[in-house]
Amino acid sequence: MKRFWKDVTSHLGYALYSAKSELKSEVANSYLNWIWWVLEPFCFMLIYSFIFGTVFNAKEPHFGLFIFIGLTAWDFFSRNVTQSVKLLKNNKAIVTKVYIPKFVLLISRMFFNGYKMLISFGIIVIMMVYYRIHVTWYIVFIIPIFIVLFTLAFAIMTHLMHYGVYVQDLTNVTTIVLRMVFYMSGIFYNIETRLPPQYTAILLKGNPMALILNSFRKCILYGQMPNLKWLLFWFVLAVIIAIFGVRKIYKNENSYVKVI
Amino acid sequence: MEESKFTNTKSAISVRNVCIEYRSLKAQSIKQNFFKLRKVKQEVFQAVRNVSFEVKEGQILGITGKNGSGKSTMLRAIAGIFSADSGEIDLHGHSISLLSIGVGFNKELSGRENILLSGMLLGFDEATIKERMNEIIDFAGIGTFIDMPVRTYSSGMYSKLAFSITAVLETEIMLIDEVLSVGDEKFRKKSYGKMKQLISKRDRTVVIVSHSLSTLAELCDEVMWMHDGEIVMLDTPEIVLPVYRDFMK
Repeated sequence: MKRFWKDVTSHLGYALYSAKSELKSEVANSYLNWIWWVLEPFCFMLIYSFIFGTVFNAKEPHFGLFIFIGLTAWDFFSRNVTQSVKLLKNNKAIVTKVYIPKFVLLISRMFFNGYKMLISFGIIVIMMVYYRIHVTWYIVFIIPIFIVLFTLAFAIMTHLMHYGVYVQDLTNVTTIVLRMVFYMSGIFYNIETRLPPQYTAILLKGNPMALILNSFRKCILYGQMPNLKWLLFWFVLAVIIAIFGVRKIYKNENSYVKVI
Repeated sequence: MEESKFTNTKSAISVRNVCIEYRSLKAQSIKQNFFKLRKVKQEVFQAVRNVSFEVKEGQILGITGKNGSGKSTMLRAIAGIFSADSGEIDLHGHSISLLSIGVGFNKELSGRENILLSGMLLGFDEATIKERMNEIIDFAGIGTFIDMPVRTYSSGMYSKLAFSITAVLETEIMLIDEVLSVGDEKFRKKSYGKMKQLISKRDRTVVIVSHSLSTLAELCDEVMWMHDGEIVMLDTPEIVLPVYRDFMK
């Protein structure tokens, strides 16, 4: 544990800088460069708004914003998870040449995706003004919700990064699982009103992403108290999973080089 | 260790009974995992077998041997990129770097940014790198290209920049894996000179892996000849190199 903190603090600079340079290089060659980070979720929001708002006749208040919040947080989560599987392979050039605590690569990825999420949240603020959302003091709860989201993502990423080295087709599995969780997290429908009550309870407690998205909307859109008890539960669980993940990485990190 | 001039100084690297194995740790698919769960045969290939040696502070050790004799594996183990399967490697708290070309380069970014990126990856903080930035740029000698994306570089410029980073940002122990031949003739001479200058600082410990016997003869205090993961000879270049040359005929 001590070693973990030491490694994190000593490599934080690199993680940040490498995330920054990744972002820079991503926009280096496109005409609309960083606008894509906004445009992409925005277009998806329009699509989902049309399909579910118009075709399926959804009646959530501020439906566009409802979807946009869901998509923003979901994108952060799913991008991190997907990218973590091949992370070591994609960084072969680094991993085989210098020693670096391997989870630093994960943290760098999270900065990378986190920055994109931040921009999306900027759009959310603009949309809130546009929709004239009444902001309550419950908005402060987005901070603990973010913490839960980060911890959860990190916990899952540590394990996926580890197994991604040894299992070639892990990507296929994660794609399917992520798709399943995507539909069960209520990105474009309200779990609380659209499902029979018994399923609602199961999803909102058993699926952390559903819980997180729901909590975000509650404190941003509806001025309600998120379910703190279950958020705390998932936070603790995520920390435990992350500890096991980091341990596993420490134990095996020297053999990764021999496999990739 | 016969060399008398090192007997009083402290050890920089101690390698004791180190074995490194490559189990055929192949990446597997899930299907294979399901069906072959029981009969996973692990072929073990021993790249380094029971090797022990000591490098004193300020000493320059050359490692030579034919391809696949475990030289690079040994070097990577010393650098901490992978751990020994048995035995131990003690660096006595010295900072170490494996001199390698273009670690962590991002081809879309400019040379300047890549210096920072690569330097930070090698474990230096931002301030140190910025301080020595100009020295690196001067040494690389690639002119205005330093502010262009690295993908526009010719391969020679690429290696020149990469070499300059590792040559200017120094650590107490340097591990060199045949990088003395990059760039054009002029740069090669310059880098060779720089290398000699780096190496000749008394407090710097260096391990060089090379096939070039003349390089080894000129630079090293001691030469270690490895064959099939074992040490055949470890002595001064005058003693080892003639025997090795005969062997390779």
